[in-house]
Amino acid sequence: LPICPNGSVNCQLSLEELFDRAVKLSHYIHFLSSEMFNEFDERYAQGRGFIAKAVNSCHTASLTTPEDKEQAQQIHHEDLLNLILGVLRSWNDPLIHLASEVQRIKEAPETILWKAVEIEEQNKRLLEGMEKIVGRVHSGEVGNDIYTPWDGLPSLQLADEDSRLFAFYNLLHCLRRDSHKIDNYLKVLKCRLIHDNNC
Amino acid sequence: SIQIPKERLPPEKPTIIKCRSPEKETFTCWWKPASDSTNHTLLYSKEGEEKVYECPDYKTAGPNSCYFDKKHTSFWTIYNITVRATNEMGSNVSDPHYVDVTYIVQPDPPVNITLELRKSIKRKPYLVLTWSPPPLADVRSGWLTLEYELRLKPEEGEEWEVQYQIWQFWPILKIKVICNSFLHADYAYSGCMSSNNSVCFLDFRVKDMV
Repeated sequence: LPICPNGSVNCQLSLEELFDRAVKLSHYIHFLSSEMFNEFDERYAQGRGFIAKAVNSCHTASLTTPEDKEQAQQIHHEDLLNLILGVLRSWNDPLIHLASEVQRIKEAPETILWKAVEIEEQNKRLLEGMEKIVGRVHSGEVGNDIYTPWDGLPSLQLADEDSRLFAFYNLLHCLRRDSHKIDNYLKVLKCRLIHDNNC
Repeated sequence: SIQIPKERLPPEKPTIIKCRSPEKETFTCWWKPASDSTNHTLLYSKEGEEKVYECPDYKTAGPNSCYFDKKHTSFWTIYNITVRATNEMGSNVSDPHYVDVTYIVQPDPPVNITLELRKSIKRKPYLVLTWSPPPLADVRSGWLTLEYELRLKPEEGEEWEVQYQIWQFWPILKIKVICNSFLHADYAYSGCMSSNNSVCFLDFRVKDMV
């Protein structure tokens, strides 16, 4: 993520610069995820009652994450950073498959296809940047333990169209949600660690 | 044929009209009451929980509403909300309304808008526009990020033109050339405007970036 200015190889960006870039990237990823979800919802999900079935079905639901401002402000920053890393890692695999499987949706508009590929790419960059941030902030070893597997590929390939469309809807709904969490937590952390809660 | 008097029938189905969070910390839902009912009960369940709860506060937000304070508000969580209308003949329940508070944030307009005509060193006039975030919005901690949109239109004109979109951290804007005369700011939502002649109206719309 951090590109060294004027070509120097091992530049050391400040923590503030790292956070700045991470927040811009998380904001961009969430923006794309929202657009993609809204587009898909409008084109394929109207009147199918998918939201009722999407309750409690994200593969990252088992991760205990802050659910309001107070919780987000009380959690230790190292724990919140580890959670962000865990959520990002948990999306590596589904994003790879989303980018390929979305091509098979009937008349999938180019804008959805392009966003799926772009999000996968940017998610990798953000994960790379977050590992740098955690490396700087963490006293000990960067924790690799938070991760939730995704087993949703077969449902993206179901023959029954309604079931397959719901699988995509659910994945995009969870992506919009988790990308928003990451973006929100990063903004809270940046204000806390860089601006002493006075953004 | 036997005519059953109107009030002997169970109430019609109430309808949940809208839910809104003004500052991403609390939220309120409103419903359209069933015409012939004696009272209404709002019930909700939260994603990941079996339990059904009743509205915590029917008063704060006025009639036919339910106010969820911070303690009862969770984000990234789907609320399944219904309203039940009851009279002595029975009851009727609204269709379920699914809400994730993350996506119903609608901030209040910005406040303390000031507009100042200044002269630069080279004697060229320019305008400085300043404003503050809506009072309820906690933008300091990073929990809520606001995006401001500056729109201008000549007094006679109909169409607002979006001039700038500004991330929340710079509530100051230097405007070089606006239009030919004095510029007046009004609130996007409250719509209070003064009636000066030959003025350009500066309309503020605030969107939460969710």
